[in-house]
Amino acid sequence: MVKIALETLASCSGCEISILDLHEDLATLLNQADIVYAPVLMDVKEVPDDIDIAIVSGSVRNVENKERLEELREKSKYLIAYGTCACYGGITGMADLYTSEEVTSRTYSDNPSTVSAPLPNEVVPELLSIVHPAADFTRIDGFIPGCPPKEQLTHDILIPLVNDEAPDVPKKSVCADCQREMEHVEFDTIHRRIEGTPEPGKCFLSQGYVCLGSVTLGRCGGLCTEAGIPCHGCGGPSLDVLREPSHDIYNGVIKRIAHLSKMPEKDVEKQLYDIGHVIYGFVIGSTTMEDKQVSLIPQLVKK
Amino acid sequence: MKNIEISPVSRIEGHAKITVQVDDAGNVADAHFHVMEIRGFEKFLEGAAVEEAPRITPRICGICQTAHHLAAAKATDMVFGLEPPETAKKLRELMLMGQYIHSHSLHFYFLGAPDLVMGPDSDPAMRNVVGILKSNPDLAMMAIKTRKIGQEITGAVGGKPISPVTAIPGGQSRGITSEQQAKLLSKAKDAIGLIEQGVEVAKPLFTQYSEAIEALGPVESHFGAITNGGSIEFYDGPAKIIDKSGNQVYEFAAADYLDYVEEKVQPWSYLKFPYLKQIGFPEGNYRVGPLARLNVVDTIPTEKASALYGEYKDQYGIAQNALLYHYARLIELMYAAERAVQLLEDDSITGTDLRQNLSEPLMTQAEAKQSGETKRGVGMIEATRGILIHDYETDAGGFINRANLIVSTGQNNLSMDIGVRETAKQMIHGEEVSEGLKNRLEMIVRAYDPCLSCATHAIDGSSPLAVDIYDSDGQLLKKHLL
Repeated sequence: MVKIALETLASCSGCEISILDLHEDLATLLNQADIVYAPVLMDVKEVPDDIDIAIVSGSVRNVENKERLEELREKSKYLIAYGTCACYGGITGMADLYTSEEVTSRTYSDNPSTVSAPLPNEVVPELLSIVHPAADFTRIDGFIPGCPPKEQLTHDILIPLVNDEAPDVPKKSVCADCQREMEHVEFDTIHRRIEGTPEPGKCFLSQGYVCLGSVTLGRCGGLCTEAGIPCHGCGGPSLDVLREPSHDIYNGVIKRIAHLSKMPEKDVEKQLYDIGHVIYGFVIGSTTMEDKQVSLIPQLVKK
Repeated sequence: MKNIEISPVSRIEGHAKITVQVDDAGNVADAHFHVMEIRGFEKFLEGAAVEEAPRITPRICGICQTAHHLAAAKATDMVFGLEPPETAKKLRELMLMGQYIHSHSLHFYFLGAPDLVMGPDSDPAMRNVVGILKSNPDLAMMAIKTRKIGQEITGAVGGKPISPVTAIPGGQSRGITSEQQAKLLSKAKDAIGLIEQGVEVAKPLFTQYSEAIEALGPVESHFGAITNGGSIEFYDGPAKIIDKSGNQVYEFAAADYLDYVEEKVQPWSYLKFPYLKQIGFPEGNYRVGPLARLNVVDTIPTEKASALYGEYKDQYGIAQNALLYHYARLIELMYAAERAVQLLEDDSITGTDLRQNLSEPLMTQAEAKQSGETKRGVGMIEATRGILIHDYETDAGGFINRANLIVSTGQNNLSMDIGVRETAKQMIHGEEVSEGLKNRLEMIVRAYDPCLSCATHAIDGSSPLAVDIYDSDGQLLKKHLL
């Protein structure tokens, strides 16, 4: 039997829920594999030595996250960074928009419902100065981005892996799955996502809304755009963005809007707003994205 | 002085530690429940266009994401002064019922029940859902099917089962079709049948473990919950606070929470300790969540849940025992499925009037800065684990200046801490501490279904559950691996 371990670092536990969302297939999986360690589900407290597949979710936010990640690496043959936090820092990476001191001060002293007090400093582990994806500290054998990875994807990846087969995963962007129609329209205003009512069936970018579908890895089936909501990029950068040193999420979106609207790129750039949360929300903690020639992340991040 | 450490507490969401200090005579001097991380949502929401908050905050917690999504959406409704149309409100409530069915069945069957079904002293390797799958596959499949229906409802209404997206300022981005309505209605009815079977399995356990219910996690507190004229209510309404005897102490609307709730920072935990401001700390301790809700409300307006509630009420009255959270959770699970059926039997659920739009264009960031004005929105909801409050102050253009979050689990933090300490004092004498006894301390924490990811705040990297015993010089005497 293949031995699987699940470990959660700094995260929301949504990745573990997405594995439970295999539902009945969970029973099938458990016929082929033993979950030997998973604190969220079971009481085995010691990480076993001979793990075949370790699935780590969440980002590395404090010293203990880092130690645990390194212990898992040592004890497992195949280590998977599961979910956008483990792959790119995820939404937790937005904390890098502020310093650690600003984060703790807002929570424990400069807060309207909190009686001002010293920071927690007994027993609790020290924060790292920035948020890290797992690969900053150790070798990762497989990356499965997604916030969280969709249950079908989990199924399509985990079942072959357990059977020692290479999973066949889609490599297209969200746009490839989105049913909305992209068209050239002349407009000169970028809308906030709350303004107006987006026309159903028509591409959000073609209507002047910031949608990250064209620059985001699309293993979600375009669920958000189908639900009437522009893509927020939770699946992490598309393969195009990852492969091209000069291709960044920010400039990719600008180019696409300019192309569809005939607005000069400079004008698009002027109108983009809240770039930290809207454009880079899921990848701020990623050095891969920060190192892009045209990335704005270095300007946004306070180290 | 010896220090016993239990880390991580398992079968909970997020990571925590329990420490017990034993004096030289072998008696417990002190004990604490520690929450080990902070992620900082309150800070990094600053600067965000507030309409993004319903998309960012579900990532506070992957288990009660819908509650964060909706609390955030309600706060943005208020920031922009937009009232969602009736259909949108019903859809949001239905989405929340999906959340309850998923989260309550996850907690009861997957995380909590193994202690009762397999026994608190059973083999730790089998005391989990995998063990139940192997020893009682029918029960496990029933649990899986129940939770699946919750996720299907959330997915259909919210766009995705985890981190839904459809609640937007002023309403919903998408409705459901009559085909979806029929399909979901049939599933919600199936859920009622599955939950009835679950209740049959669970009820005898509360009789079997009546001694543990009395002994584990003793604490008496105030209770807080949203109610709608005394009836159970998850989506909207004022919060009511009762004392330990059941008398009403306060009732307040979301926007006024700062007059009633204050939070204390303790050096040993990243999770703060909320309490009733006017009563003070620690006397103003209050609990939230299933046990609190069933104490606060007078009625549950659906047939089967109401019958279960009557029986429970006759037996326990204003219940104080932490393990009864499990019982209360099952009754609410039934209510959620029945309420989902009610909402789906109402044809207005397929209505197409789904959102109110802004009547005026938004200020640009420059204009907003110049005006110097601010806006505020507070969204309050009953998350599965209790009252959840999202409070955003924005500039005139709707960019967040300050965010404050009172998360459900925080409000139970003091009671978990007291419960662990008092139980340790009663049960631990001397150096030898059995695995089963340590598991009992964890069972107290588990009963509250703490969501430590939610603690905004929360999660350490965790080390294996080891109990280290040190002497007074800090020398390691003994290491128990559990």
